Parts: sequence; C-alpha cells; structure tokens
Amino acid sequence: MKQDFLKFPLHLIFHPFSGFWDMKFERKGKLAVSLTILALLVLTTILQKQFAGFLVNFVDPRMLNSLDDLQYTLLPFLLFCMANWSITTLMEGEGKFKEIVMTTGYALLPIVLINLPMTFISRFMTQEETAFYWLMNSAASIWFVFLLFVGIMTVHQYSPSKAFLTLFLTVIAMAFVVFIGTLAFSLGAQIYWFIYDVYREIIFRA
Amino acid sequence: MSIKRAFLLAAIAALFLSASVPSASAKAPYEAYTYDYYSDSVPLPAPYLPDRAVTGSSLGVGEFNQPNDMFVTEDESVYILDSGNARIVSLDKDWNVLRVIQKFDNHGKEDGFAGPTGIFVSDRKEIYVADTDHNRVVMLSNEGKLLRIFEKPQSDILPKDFKFAPLKIAVDQAGRMFVISRGEFEGIMQFDEKGAFMGFVGTIKVSPNLADRLWRMLSTKAQKEQMQLFIPTEFSSVDMDKKGFVYATTIDINSDDTIKRLNPSGQDVIKRFGYYPNKGDIRYRRFGNNSGPSKLVDIKVLDGGLYMALDSNRARLFGYNDEGELLYAFGGRGTQLGVFNTPVAVERIGERLAVLDRGKNNIVVFHPTRFGSLVNQATKYHYDGDDTEAVKLWKEVLQLNTNYDIAYLGIGKSLLMEKKNKEAMAYFKLGMQRKDYSVAFKRHRREVMKEHFGTFMTVLVVLIAGFVTFRVARQVIRRRTGNREARLS
Repeated sequence: MKQDFLKFPLHLIFHPFSGFWDMKFERKGKLAVSLTILALLVLTTILQKQFAGFLVNFVDPRMLNSLDDLQYTLLPFLLFCMANWSITTLMEGEGKFKEIVMTTGYALLPIVLINLPMTFISRFMTQEETAFYWLMNSAASIWFVFLLFVGIMTVHQYSPSKAFLTLFLTVIAMAFVVFIGTLAFSLGAQIYWFIYDVYREIIFRA
Repeated sequence: MSIKRAFLLAAIAALFLSASVPSASAKAPYEAYTYDYYSDSVPLPAPYLPDRAVTGSSLGVGEFNQPNDMFVTEDESVYILDSGNARIVSLDKDWNVLRVIQKFDNHGKEDGFAGPTGIFVSDRKEIYVADTDHNRVVMLSNEGKLLRIFEKPQSDILPKDFKFAPLKIAVDQAGRMFVISRGEFEGIMQFDEKGAFMGFVGTIKVSPNLADRLWRMLSTKAQKEQMQLFIPTEFSSVDMDKKGFVYATTIDINSDDTIKRLNPSGQDVIKRFGYYPNKGDIRYRRFGNNSGPSKLVDIKVLDGGLYMALDSNRARLFGYNDEGELLYAFGGRGTQLGVFNTPVAVERIGERLAVLDRGKNNIVVFHPTRFGSLVNQATKYHYDGDDTEAVKLWKEVLQLNTNYDIAYLGIGKSLLMEKKNKEAMAYFKLGMQRKDYSVAFKRHRREVMKEHFGTFMTVLVVLIAGFVTFRVARQVIRRRTGNREARLS
C-alpha cells in the first residue's frame, strides 16, 4: 500500500525515465493510484479557486462552480487519454489505453503536490511575494509537461522527436474531438427541439 | 361574518390611505451607476436631481439660440455664451440678468462676435471669449468694455498657413491663456499674460496599433500617399483648477486617456488608479444605436480633487475623484427635465451643477441629493487629509448604498492610517483593492509575528529537538538490533 501509493509515485516524479519503465514493464503502476491522483487534482483545483489568498485569487465568486471546474481537470484528462490512444495506435505506439491513463495520472502528481500547499501559503503572502506563488505554479506545470513527455515516450517506446510529434497531434485530435462533440450535441439538440415542436403542435391541434 | 366585514373595511381603508401618501422621494429620469471591480455597472441612488430648467425667455432676454458655452465664477455669477445670437448673457447669483453683451467698442468702431464657442471668466472678472469665426480671442471687462484682442499669433513654430480658430479657452491666475484651436493637433496653445504665444502643451502622442503598422508596411508607396495620416486628436475642452493645473478632454475613440491633467510644464499628471481607465463609459455597444465610447466634450473641476466630465454621446455626466475612481455617472438623452439633447457645458454653482444644453437651448440646474453630497463631502475630507471626518460620512454612505466600493476603500484607507490593519484588510477586501490590502496585510502579519515570535520559536525548537532525538534513537536501536543479528548469524 505504502509502496504503491507513496514511494513509487514519488520515485517516479524524480526519476521519470526509470520510473515509467518500471511502471510499464515491472508492473509497478496501479490504475487506482493514477485515478486517486486525478481525484486529488480535481480537489486541488477546487480548493485553489475557493481558498487561495485574496491577492492571488482572481476568481469571480459569483461564477464559482466546482462542477464547472471539472472541465479544466477531468475533461482534458479524458480527452487527452482518448486522443493520445487514438493517435498512438495508428503510429505504432506500444502503450495500452490503461497505460496511457496511468502515465497521465502519475505525471499530474507534481501539480497536486505543489499547488495544494501553495494554496495554503498564498494566504500569508503579500503582493511582492505573490511572484513566488506564480513561479511555483508554473514550475509545477512545466514539471507535469516534462513528465508527460517522458511518460509517453517510454510507454509507447518512441524516440523523443516522435513523442513530440504525437503529443502535438494529440492536441489537434483533442480539438477535433471537442469539435465533433459540439457538433453532435448541437445536432442532437436540434433534433430534440424538432420532435418537441411537433409534439407541441399536435397537442395544440388536438 | 362581521369580523370578515371589518377586515374588508380595514383593507379598503388601508388602500385609500396608502394611495393618498405621496412617494417620499422625487424620481430621477435617469439611473445613476458606477462600475464595480468586475466592470459591471452597479446602480446607485441618484447623486444629483434636476431642480429646474432655465431658458432665455424665462430670464426675459429672448430664447437662446444654440448656446455653446457657459461659465460660472466662484461667487456664482453666470455667463452664458449664446452663440447663435452672438451675445453674452451675464447673470448674478440669483439668476437676475445683469447685462447682455452683444456689441463692444473696438477703437471707435462697433464690433461683435461671430460664432463664438468658448468663454472663460478670470478671477479679476475679465471675460475671455473665443471668437471662433473672427479668428481671435476677445478680452472684455465685466461691464463689457473691450480690454484686448488677441489675433493670430506670430511664431516660428507655427506653419505659414496656420489658421487661428479658437474653440475653448481657460486662463490661469497669472493671466496665462490656454487656447484650443480648431484643427490644431499639436496640443493646447499657451499664451503668456501679455498675449505672446509661448508654445504647445499637452501634445498627444500618436501610436498606431500593430494592425495599422502591418498594413502600412505591406502597402505600396502610392497607397501610402492615399492613406490617412496618423494624426493625434484634438482637444475638446479645457478647465483650470485652483492650483493652476489645466484639465482637458479629448475625443479619441482609441484612447483610454481622454481626460488629462497638465502640470505647468505640459505633462499629463492625472491619476488613473481606478479599476479601469477614467474615460467615461467602459461598457458600451460597439455598433448600432447609442454605441461607441464616451465623447467627453466638457470638464469641470470641483472641490476636493473631484472633476466632472460631460459625455455628449450618451449625454451623461461622470464624476471622478482625484485618484481617477468613478464616483458616479448619471444623466441621459431624452425630453424630460434632467435629461439632455445636446449637452455642451457643465459648470458648478456652489454645491449645485448646471448643464448647458445646446439642443434644448436651456440650462438644467441639479442639486445634490443626500447621497451625492455625502459622497462629495467625504471625498473632499479625504482629499484634505481629514480621514476621521471622511470615515463618518463614508459609513453614512454605506447605509444608503452597501454596494459602494469607494466607501469601503475610503474607510479602509483611514483605518490603515490609524494602524488598525486587520480592520483595514477587511474593508480593502470588500472594496477589491489588492494593492492596499497587501500593505495592510504586511503590517498585520508583522504585528502577529512579533506577538507570537516567542511561542513560535519555542514550538519550532521543541519540534527540531524531538525530531533529532527520534532520529538518533532510531539509529541506536537499529545499530543494536543489527549487532545482535550479526552476532546471531
């Protein structure tokens, strides 16, 4: 338990190359751990928006909605996993969907580890010190991107340039999925309203 | 049954009674507002309400014809520049006509005005008129006797074909004139007390945006010649505060700096510390009816660093404090009393305001409501550094309007002065002012740290000692067991 949930993820984020190798080939990674990290990320984002210090919190409290915040955490996560899987299957990637989910999940750990304490610390910061807050947050994001890159490279057994290319294509694929999703949604809505209108017409005539 | 009837009777009586009581406050024909931190407009109680409209016939001098400007002196005498009739109507503080100046004696010849657009009256009661179509500035005594005429200035820095068409004028205490001339993009023309041209002040910088520059780069030489030049905009009005600073407005749809305060060397020193630029409306429609940014056509400096800008686009008045925060905006277009057709000038008559309407040919006098005068007074106290008095008024303001950010900031600033840092923090948070909040917080944090430094350090030392002992103990235990195991094997 301690090994799975604490030691291995911490080892992985500091030694990504060997860590992701162990995750894939030594079967040290666990899907449950990855999903736990994702849940923690969702929690972190909510807490950050709600409780970050006044000087760094630019969220309009009237617009604060924790369910809406899922579109910044859960939605991109699922989109990325799906899009990456779709792209890498075509490009001779060796990773399974489960491994992609695990990689992305483990890579998110620095964001959780840094942003959560920073949210707390930000409440004790003055204006001049908030630069530190933004620095740490950006560092967490850069760390995440780096881990993701290494993870995708290792899981699919890609060369760096190919990993970069697939990541780029993944982003485009994500945009595509969003586009098609919106299209389907709007078409669906139109069909729904059409049927509803017909129904209403019949009701009024009868 | 009888109870029911009694109830019914009581209800009917109540209906009649409530109908007979008139509403407590007069209703303004406009909705006053200010912008909050999120740049949403927040409704306010009306800061000013219209008293009455003054027309030329009500004064007994015949209807005004497109009056263009108006000036009110400190002792509340009113000068109206009735441009269409080419005359000045001079009134005393009780709105009695003192004299009508239509003609004056110019070295034996009878002379008059032609399409004058600007008037200013100095502290010595000399009347300066921007006599636009005669291309001159006329200086008259209070009785209407000609004192001087300033014609087209001679200077090396003016081009040969320069046409002097003064539109607006302001004069400082030393008698220096600041003149806005039509088609003059260099800035405001400054004349010394003898009437010699000194140069331009407040030159507006032009910075073409990226798209303009790119377009220019891609176009051919012939196209470039066809293109519009990047010329700065003209000024639209000038006013003078008591310290001798020139307040001026420009009409520029691309600029956020349409209100300027020029120091004696001609630099813009206005404070823009509000949540958003002090340029009138910040939320407006881009296209269609009533669209576009505010066109500020006049400005008046009130007491306590307040200034009032007049927007001719949506016919609104904007009151700002010296920090550049919008205190209130009110007014509108319409036919009722208190809304305007073509407002051209705003003046102060003591506590009251007067707005000259060129379209309606009248002057509307506004008096401050309780809310308005409280806000003005509190701003004045704060400006003079009398924060304890200001706080009392701001608290009253908050009773009238709990959504008034500036009142929270006012109280916060005063609390900060009194070193009540924690309370100040709360008020700055309500007023959404992060910079001041940070200052208050920094002080508060230092106080708390000083107070609890002893406890904090004790806990820290104990924790460190505990941790070290734990490590050492673990080490010792491990070594012992290890030794035992080694011995066993």
